[in-house]
Amino acid sequence: MADVTYDGATRIYPGTEIAAVDSLDLDIADGEFLVLVGPSGSGKSTALRMLAGLEFIDGGSVSIGGRDVTLTPPQDRDIAMVFQNYALYPNMTVAANMGFALKQRGIEKEERARRVREAAKVLDLEEYLDRKPKNLSGGQRQRVAMGRAIVREPQVFLMDEPLSNLDAKLRVQTRTELAELQARLGVTTVYVTHDQVEAMTMGHRVAVLRDGKLQQVARPRDLYSTPANRFVAGFIGSPAMNLIDVDPGNGPLQLGTAPITGAPASGTAVGTVGVRPEHLRLGSTGINGRVTVIEELGSQAFVHVAIEHEGRDEVLVVRDEGETDIQRNDNVQVGILGPCHLFGTDGERIDQ
Amino acid sequence: MTAATADRAKLLAKRNRLEAWKRRLPLLPALLFTIVVTQVPFVLSLWYSFTEWRINPPSPRTFIGVDNYTGLVSNSFFRDAAFTTIFMTVASVLLSLLLGTGLALLLDRDFFGRGLARTLLITPFLIMPVVAGLVWKTQMFNSSFGVLNWILETLGFDSIEFVSRWPAGSIIVVLVWQWMPFMMLIVLAGLQGQDPSVLEAARVDGASSFSIFGQITLPQLRPYLELGTLLGTIYLIQVFDHVEVITGGGPGSTNIPYFVFQRSIGGGWRFGEASAFSIVVVVASIVIANLGLRVLSNLLEGEAP
Amino acid sequence: MSTERSQIVGQSRRSTIILGLAAWIAALLVFFPIFWMVLNGFKEEIDANSSPKLIFDPTSDRYTEVTTQTEGLLGFQEAFTNSFVIVAISTLLVLIMAIPAAYSLSIRPIAKWRDVLFFFISTKFLPIVAAILPLYIIGTRYGLTNSRIGLVILYTAMNLPLAVWMLRSFFSEVPKELVEAAQIDGAGIRGQITSVILPIVAPGIAATALLCVIFAWNEFFLAVQLNSVDGSTVPIWVSSNVSTRGNFLAKLSAASTLATLPVVIAGWAAQKRMIRGLAMGAIK
Repeated sequence: MADVTYDGATRIYPGTEIAAVDSLDLDIADGEFLVLVGPSGSGKSTALRMLAGLEFIDGGSVSIGGRDVTLTPPQDRDIAMVFQNYALYPNMTVAANMGFALKQRGIEKEERARRVREAAKVLDLEEYLDRKPKNLSGGQRQRVAMGRAIVREPQVFLMDEPLSNLDAKLRVQTRTELAELQARLGVTTVYVTHDQVEAMTMGHRVAVLRDGKLQQVARPRDLYSTPANRFVAGFIGSPAMNLIDVDPGNGPLQLGTAPITGAPASGTAVGTVGVRPEHLRLGSTGINGRVTVIEELGSQAFVHVAIEHEGRDEVLVVRDEGETDIQRNDNVQVGILGPCHLFGTDGERIDQ
Repeated sequence: MTAATADRAKLLAKRNRLEAWKRRLPLLPALLFTIVVTQVPFVLSLWYSFTEWRINPPSPRTFIGVDNYTGLVSNSFFRDAAFTTIFMTVASVLLSLLLGTGLALLLDRDFFGRGLARTLLITPFLIMPVVAGLVWKTQMFNSSFGVLNWILETLGFDSIEFVSRWPAGSIIVVLVWQWMPFMMLIVLAGLQGQDPSVLEAARVDGASSFSIFGQITLPQLRPYLELGTLLGTIYLIQVFDHVEVITGGGPGSTNIPYFVFQRSIGGGWRFGEASAFSIVVVVASIVIANLGLRVLSNLLEGEAP
Repeated sequence: MSTERSQIVGQSRRSTIILGLAAWIAALLVFFPIFWMVLNGFKEEIDANSSPKLIFDPTSDRYTEVTTQTEGLLGFQEAFTNSFVIVAISTLLVLIMAIPAAYSLSIRPIAKWRDVLFFFISTKFLPIVAAILPLYIIGTRYGLTNSRIGLVILYTAMNLPLAVWMLRSFFSEVPKELVEAAQIDGAGIRGQITSVILPIVAPGIAATALLCVIFAWNEFFLAVQLNSVDGSTVPIWVSSNVSTRGNFLAKLSAASTLATLPVVIAGWAAQKRMIRGLAMGAIK
C-alpha cells in the first residue's frame, strides 16, 4: 500500500504534437479511492496507463510509495489493473487466471492456491475456479478480473472503466460492492470512468480531466458545489447545470428578467452564469417562459423552459418536485432559489 | 534544477532508444536471415551479369560491362520466353480466379456432403507439382493411354497429342487445376465473412439474387480477389516444375525461369549471360511487385498496429 | 407474409439441390485425376499402359516395387528420410524466427512495421531462378550442395516471409489488453509469448507450419538443381520413376501416391484454418 504522485507527468504520443496528458500534478494518498473522470479523449485512460507503465512518460515523473517509477517497466511496479474488457486469459481457468501473477513472481504452488481460494471466497467465485472465462457470465468475468487484482495484494489498484461492460442494474450493484471492497482492503485505487455518476458515488476524491489537462480535483461534494470552471460545472451533475452566457458590458447581472444576487468579489467581468436545476423553481414570479419538454421521473420531474435572455432564446432545466400539474406549452415563471455560479469570460470560477 | 532536468531528459531519451531496440530485437533473426539468404545471391548475380563466364568450354571470368544486356535485347529466344511467361501467368491466374470464385459460390450454400466436396476440391492444391505434371501428362493428355483421348475417341473424334499440339495450354491446364482450389478457399473465406444481416436486408428490400451478387457480394469480395491475384501471381510467375516435367521446355512453353535454367546450369553453362537474364527478371519482378505491393498496402490500409 | 416467405424458401431449396449437384459434379471432375492416379497404382503395368479401364485385378505389387527396388541412384527410404529431415528442421527454424518477428510486427510493433512486412513479402517476388546460379556456386564452394543443410537453409528462407505474414495476422487478433495484463502480472516478453499469446494463436501456428511443410515437401526446382546426387528429396524420387524404357505408368502412379499422401492428409485435416490464416488479418 502506498501513495501515488504525478509530478508534471506528460505523455505525447509519437507522431503527434499535442500532449495526451499535459503536466499532470496529482497526489493520491495511501488508501485513497481516486477517480479520474472526463469525456473521451480527455487523457484519463492515458494518465492511468502512465501509472501502469503501459504508456511512456515523456516528461515529469510518476512515483508509487515514494519510489520514482518513471522508468520502471510495468512488470516491476507492483500494481494490479482491471481492464474494461477484463482481459482474462482465455486459455486458463479462473484459478489459473487469478494465480498467474503469483506464478510469475515464483510463489509456491500451495501458497498460490491458498491465496487464490481466499480471494475467490471474498468475491464469491469459489465454485467457478475450474471454469474457463468463456463459460462465465459478464458479471462473473468482472469479478474474476477483480480477483486477479486483489490476489496480488499490490500497492495500487488501477481500474480502467471496469463496470462499463455490465448492464445498468448490475453496474449499480457492483459499484457499491466495489467501493465497499476497496474500503475494506484499504488499497490505494485509481479508477477511470467517463460516467460522472460513477465518479461521484465511488470516489473519495474526483479528478476531472479535459484535453489532457487537470481541471479540478476535489471531494465529490465540493466538486458539485464549487466547480472550478465552466467545464467542470457542466460535466458534473445530472441533469447538467444551466449555463447561460451573459454580456459582460450589460449593466447589472440578469437571467432573463430576473436579477442575480451576488457579485464578483473582484471586479472581474462575468461571462457565464450557472444555476443548477434544483435551485430553480416554477412559481408565480420570476422569468417568463414556456414549457417545451417534461422529463417525468416519478419522484421529480425536469422541466425544460424556453426563456428569452438578452434578446435570444435559451432553455432552462428546472427541477420540479411534482406538486404542480404542468403541461407542455404552458406559460410559466421560473424563480431563482439558490446560489448562482459565476464564471469569467475565460471560463474560470469567480468567487463571490 | 536545470542540470537535473537535462539529466532527466537524457534518461528519458535513453529509455526511448532502449525501448526501440527492445522492440526490434525479436525481429532481427528473421530479418537478417532473410536479407542474407535472399539478397546476397542477387548482388552476386548482378556482378556475374557484367562478366563473360563460360564453364563449358571452361574460360576465365572476364569483365565485359553491359554486353550481356545489349545482346539480350536482340535475343529472340529471350523475347519468346518473356512472352510465354506473361501469357502463362496471366492466363493461369485469371482462369483459376474465375473458376475458383465459381466453385466458392457453389460451396457457399449448404448441400448434402458439402464438407467432403470441399475436401475433394482442395486436393489438387496439395499435390506435389512434379506429380501433378506427370499424372496429367502420362494419364490425362497422353494420346494412347490418356483419359482425355479415350473420351475423344469414344465420342468419335481423332485422338490429339495435347502436349505437343498445345504445350503452353497443357501447362496452363495443370496450373489452373492446382491453383483454382487455392483461389476457391480464399474467396470462400471472404464469402463466409459476409454479414448475413446485410444480405437479408437487401432481400427484404426486394433485390434479386443477381443484383445482390453484383452490388453487395462482389464489392465485399474485392480485397479477397486481390489477395488471391497477388499470391497466385507470386507463385505462378515462377513456375518451373510443371514446364520441366510436362514439356521439358518444348516450343512455346519455355518461360523465363526455365530459359535461365537452360542457359546456365541446365546445360548452357553461360553464367554471365544467364545472370543478365536473371537481373532482367528481377527488375521485371520488382515492377510487378510494386503494383502488387500497392494492392497490399490497400489491404493493410487503416489497420492499426 | 408467411406464404411469401415459404415461397422464397421453396425456391431456394430447389436451387440448392441444383447448385449442390453442380458442386458435386465439379468436385468429382476436379478430383478425377487424383482418383485415376491412385487407381493406376494398383494396376499391373499392362493394364495401366492401355486404353483406360476401371475394372481390373488390383495388386499392391507396384508399391512393393517402388519402396524396395531402387531405380537409378535414389531409394525410397533415402528420399523419404531426406525429405522428412529437411522439411521438419526447416519448418522448425521458420517458426523459431517467425514467431518473435510476428510479435515485433503486431503486438508491440516497431515504428516501421509496415515497411518491414513489405520487405518480407517483396522477397517472395524475387524469382528463385535468378538466384540459382550464385546459390549453386556458393553451395558448391562451401559443400552445401548435395547436402541436407543447404536445402534446410533455402527452404527456411523460402517459407519465412509467408510464415511472418500469416503469423502476424494471427498475432494481431490477440487483444492488446491481454498482453498488457500479462505485462502487469509480471511476465516478460518470453512469458507473454509462451503463456498468453501462443495458446491463443496455436491453431494459427499449426496452419502456418502446415503450409510451410506443404511448400517445402513439394519443392522440386532447388532440390533437383542442388541435390541431385545426395540429399535428394521425394519429388526427385518420383521423377526418377519415369523411365525411358519399358512401361512405368503403374509404378509412377504408386510412387506419386506415396509421395503426395503425407501432405494431402495433413492438408485435409487443416483446410479451414489454413485459408483463414492466409486470408484473415490481411483483410480487416
